[in-house]
Parts: sequence; structure tokens; C-alpha cells
Amino acid sequence: MSSEANKQAFEALVQPHFDRLYRLAFRLTGRKTEAEDLFQELLIKAFGKLDDLVAIDEPGSWLSRVMYNLFIDEQRRYARRRMHTVEEGFLPVGGIEGFAGTESPERDQHRLEQLNQLDVALKQLSDDHRLIVLLHDTEGYKLEEIHTLMGIPVGTVKSRLHRARARLREILVQSGTFS
Amino acid sequence: MNNNNLERQDEEVLQLLKDYPKPTPDAGFYDRALARATHEGSRRQRNRWVMTGFGSAVAAGLVLWFVGTVFLASPDLPQPEASIPGITMTLEEPRTVNLVFASAMALDMATLTVTLPAGIELAGFPGQREITWQTSLVEGKNFLPLELIALSSAGGEVLARLEHDDRDRTFRLRVDVS
Repeated sequence: MSSEANKQAFEALVQPHFDRLYRLAFRLTGRKTEAEDLFQELLIKAFGKLDDLVAIDEPGSWLSRVMYNLFIDEQRRYARRRMHTVEEGFLPVGGIEGFAGTESPERDQHRLEQLNQLDVALKQLSDDHRLIVLLHDTEGYKLEEIHTLMGIPVGTVKSRLHRARARLREILVQSGTFS
Repeated sequence: MNNNNLERQDEEVLQLLKDYPKPTPDAGFYDRALARATHEGSRRQRNRWVMTGFGSAVAAGLVLWFVGTVFLASPDLPQPEASIPGITMTLEEPRTVNLVFASAMALDMATLTVTLPAGIELAGFPGQREITWQTSLVEGKNFLPLELIALSSAGGEVLARLEHDDRDRTFRLRVDVS
């Protein structure tokens, strides 16, 4: 293929998965800057493997696994940045500024406070637990997809998910978020 | 606590998680990322510099190691001792130093090498006296936090050497340990 044809083929294969991949990058790294770096690294790597990519039945799954492996391989770098980079995440330093509220202003404000508490609670989970609960309950991944992505048995995914939810409930009860 | 209460709280946790905001990139990010990937092919960009305003770093109470404007084309003259910035660290207490370059132009695939004296380590790189990154600098301010840990009271000089093509500049930071 010509380079222009390569480019077009690559775009057609990867573009439908951009939002999901970006969110995965964000859930893995926890920061916008690092998520962008990881996303960029994935695209560069994937373009270098275009021949493999065109032959794959489910490019979205393949791209997710490559991204996860990239993250694991370079975790020390990302971990170091997580600790020391000035916060640039989509969540402002003071927490969540707003969300798409549909109820009354009072109820929306209450919801916003609850989401801020959830944000605080999520930070208290281990990296694995936080990732699993966010992928499953926020991003809508199936247990099987998390198993494929992280390479851990479905039973382990399920037990970690339950433990993560239970821990979140405990923290939210302790903080007075739930009565 | 009765089971009904627990079930209600579990349901509330699930609903909150569903409502938890989903991150979105800046406008144009996907296009830029795609263009970069297809134009650079397998070239790998590592450790991108983090652009940030000086104000936020200062507000965070961090030490800025401002190494000035990068003119790689100019001769690398010896730095007078008096002009070498310095910090004082406490033994075994991590200290973040923010390395800041104000680059006169965008530099793609520059190489940054940080060289540490004996007894000073970079967090995450135990036992390594020399750490190298490949990176790109944007035109303007570029910012990289380095967390240093003093393991002995000897102190010394931390060197940051920036190379691009066949040109390079070296910047020095004096570290005293109390």
C-alpha cells in the first residue's frame, strides 16, 4: 500500500475506538497528560504494526491490550509522574466541578458533593481495585473483557470488583455520604 | 446494619459510579495524535515535557531549577560558580526540583541526561547515577519535576545535559545536604 493508503487504512481501523481507548488510558494513568502520552504511544506502536492490525478481527480489544501492556511495561515512569507531576487531570484540584445534572439545583448540588466524595474514596483503593471498578461500573466493561485486558482469571476480577465496591461503600458511609 | 440498608447503599455506590465523569481529551487531540503517529511511524516519543505555568509550580511551593532559555546553537560557556543555582536538602527526605527550560524553538526528539553525584538519587531509579530520556520540547516553557533523595551528606552537583542533533548544553544544580 502507498503511505497515503496506509494512513487511511490505519485511521479507519483505529478511529472508532478512540473514545474508549482514551478513557482506558485515563483510567490507567489517572492524569490527562499521562493519558495523552499513553494514547500517543499506542498509536505510534499500532501504526508500526499495521500489517498485524488489518488481520485482526477485533482491533478494539487488541488495541486495549497493547495499551495495557505499554502501561505495565512503563509503569515505573507513569507511577513516578503520577506522584510528582502538577495535577492536570480533567478533575480540578478541588474535585468535580460539575456534571450533567437533570434534577433540581439542590439535588444536583447534593449529587455533585456525593461524586466528590466518590472521587476521594476511589483514591483510597489499590490501583487494581480502582481500575477494575472504574472499568466495570463506570466504563461498562464486561468481566470477560477485563480478564482479557489484565490477564487475570474472571473469578479474580469478580472478587476484586466486589471488594472494591464494598470498600467504597465503607468509605462513603464513614464520610457521611450515605446515611 | 440490616440487609435492606446494605443493599440500598450498594445500589447507591453503583449509581454513583455510573455517574462518575468520563474524561474527554482537548479538542483536536485525536487529530494531532493520529497525524503524529502516521507521520512519525515507529519513532517513539518518550517522556514528553509537561507544559505548565510557572505560577502553579510556585504556588505548590516547589523548587524551580530554572535553567534559562535554551539556545543550543550558542557556545556552551563555562557557568560562573556564583550563577549556579543551589538547594539544600535534608538527608533521606525527598525533595522535588522542577527542571524548567524556556526553549526558543520546538525541539523534537531531544535527549536529556541527568547525572547525579554519589549519594543523591532520583526517585524511581535507585542506584542509577545517570538517567536518560528522549523527549520533545515545545517552544516556550517546558517543565519536568525531578524528585531527588539524599542518601549521604556529601552533596554535589546534579547535571542536566540537553542534546539535540549534534548540539548540547549542560546545566548545573548545586545540592547541599544538611
